Amino acid sequence: MNTSKIKAIIIDDEKLAQDIVKNYLKDKNVEIVEVCNNGFEGIKAINQHKPDLVFLDIQMPKINGFEMLELLDESPTIIFTTAFDQYALKAFEVNAIDYLLKPFSSERFDEAFERAVQKIQSTGDNSSQISGLIESIDENPEKLSRIVIKSDSKINIIPVEKLNYLEAQDDYVSIVTNEGKYLKKKTMKFYEEHLDPDRFIRIHRSYIVNVDLLKQVDLIGKDSYKLTLTNGQTLPVSKSGYQNLKELIK
Amino acid sequence: MGNPFIKNSRITIVYALAWAMLALAHLLMLFFVQDIEFEIAIADALIFNALYFFIGLSLWYPTKFISFEHSSSAKILTNHLAAATITSGLWVLSGYFLLSKFYAEDIFYLKFLDASLFWRFLIGILFYCITVSINYVTIYYTNYKEKELKEAELRSLVNESELRTLKYQINPHFIFNSLNSISSLTLSDPKRAQEMTIKLSNFLRNTLSKNEKQKNLLKEELNTVRLYLDIEKIRFGDKFTYKEEISGKCLDIEVPSMILQPLFENAIKHGVYESIELVTIKISCIPEDKYLKISVENNFDPESVANKGEGIGLKNIANRLKLMYNQEGLLTTKKLGNVYTANVLIPTQKAEA
Repeated sequence: MNTSKIKAIIIDDEKLAQDIVKNYLKDKNVEIVEVCNNGFEGIKAINQHKPDLVFLDIQMPKINGFEMLELLDESPTIIFTTAFDQYALKAFEVNAIDYLLKPFSSERFDEAFERAVQKIQSTGDNSSQISGLIESIDENPEKLSRIVIKSDSKINIIPVEKLNYLEAQDDYVSIVTNEGKYLKKKTMKFYEEHLDPDRFIRIHRSYIVNVDLLKQVDLIGKDSYKLTLTNGQTLPVSKSGYQNLKELIK
Repeated sequence: MGNPFIKNSRITIVYALAWAMLALAHLLMLFFVQDIEFEIAIADALIFNALYFFIGLSLWYPTKFISFEHSSSAKILTNHLAAATITSGLWVLSGYFLLSKFYAEDIFYLKFLDASLFWRFLIGILFYCITVSINYVTIYYTNYKEKELKEAELRSLVNESELRTLKYQINPHFIFNSLNSISSLTLSDPKRAQEMTIKLSNFLRNTLSKNEKQKNLLKEELNTVRLYLDIEKIRFGDKFTYKEEISGKCLDIEVPSMILQPLFENAIKHGVYESIELVTIKISCIPEDKYLKISVENNFDPESVANKGEGIGLKNIANRLKLMYNQEGLLTTKKLGNVYTANVLIPTQKAEA
């Protein structure tokens, strides 16, 4: 057994829910470095303390547990604690070590904890987890209603209605709104699958557009088109992109 | 469906009166125009009209069996023509037979009777047409009424089943999160754990029993809401406060059962779950003209972007109110700055429906 204490953070918006995790951890070789009430506090605490283990609720004010994870550069070992059973699949996609359904017994908690300890002790490096977070394959993905992005030290929560278009940029996607551009480490394929297909159309290998803002489409050459948004911006449309547009508008 | 002239005594009287009028007209015509002796004119009018009175009653049967739905129009026409000829012929002959027996000596009258036979026959046909038309109208009118009644029944059946699907459904996450709080309290504060268990049980019991009923008194609805808020208070501590402004006159008004609960769940969801500021939830109930006006308001974080799943609870309430009171627009919501208000109008007078 490793002698150094495991550093843990508890993130939950209900005090009693925090208490029970604290209680279950009492006799364990764990130091609870911080207890947070929401995702914002969570990000700050994780970046500051670099904990080994995080107990994370999903439904919380401002940003939920998954969105918080997206904003981390490096993810610690995660045990989800939630009353929602419908996120279990998604939880394992982001490489959570376990998923505790509230209310949970101390035996069930210990099981999850042991699993986490093994993982923490076997791999000093958790950074591989983040890649699973970025690219997840889901047969029928839940549609996004907002996108959370960290720029500088600020966290932006962008409702999908506010998106003008998305543009591929190497390993990133540039998310363009009226307020500005934001970079997010995701793929175009991810957004094509996770945005409402009635509103967001892949018009080009490098572009997904919000069709609510569509003003006009012009033919500018053989099989190539130009799309104009209501704010005057223009985007290229490929042949297959034009087919996608036609299907939606018809 | 039976013969309307017999089935309904009021219609029978009207029918008899109509024949009495006809007999009177008949009498006056014979007496003043044809110069027939008064006594004979009375006999003539009485016999012919009394006979048709009974024949008319029996005309229900040809109407019923010669229906428009099942035969061609040519067939209907011939059938009625035959029936009219037979009826009228029988009528005129039996009348003639009786009267010529009674007044065999009165040559003048007999001559008149002979000469009038053809006209009487035509009048018989006319009577046939009128009676049969009235019968048809009656049949169609009754069918129409029956259909309307059935449709109304069907509609209320559909309403009922719709209302059942629109019923309040308890949010399972609320239950599981509350149970988690209880589980936590059993370790730290068993007394409060017990208190919360009892509150949760009462809330569940109220919800289950109330869902059986369509309507409930406002004060009982408020009790359920208070239990709910007490439980959320244990979960969220000082994150929200609750205020009531309720006019005493409102407490005994009937409202749709569990109509308030979704409003408070929304207030908690958008106010408390999504915000890290202190939230104030306020309910006011005021009698207003022909309505009871219930307003639930909460402040919220305007920056928080609502996650999906919103609006279904409200839509259900709006639909329930529409179905129950047969009136649109009983639920309205508004956002003013960072305050969200849901207004419900409950009609307090019995609906005319």
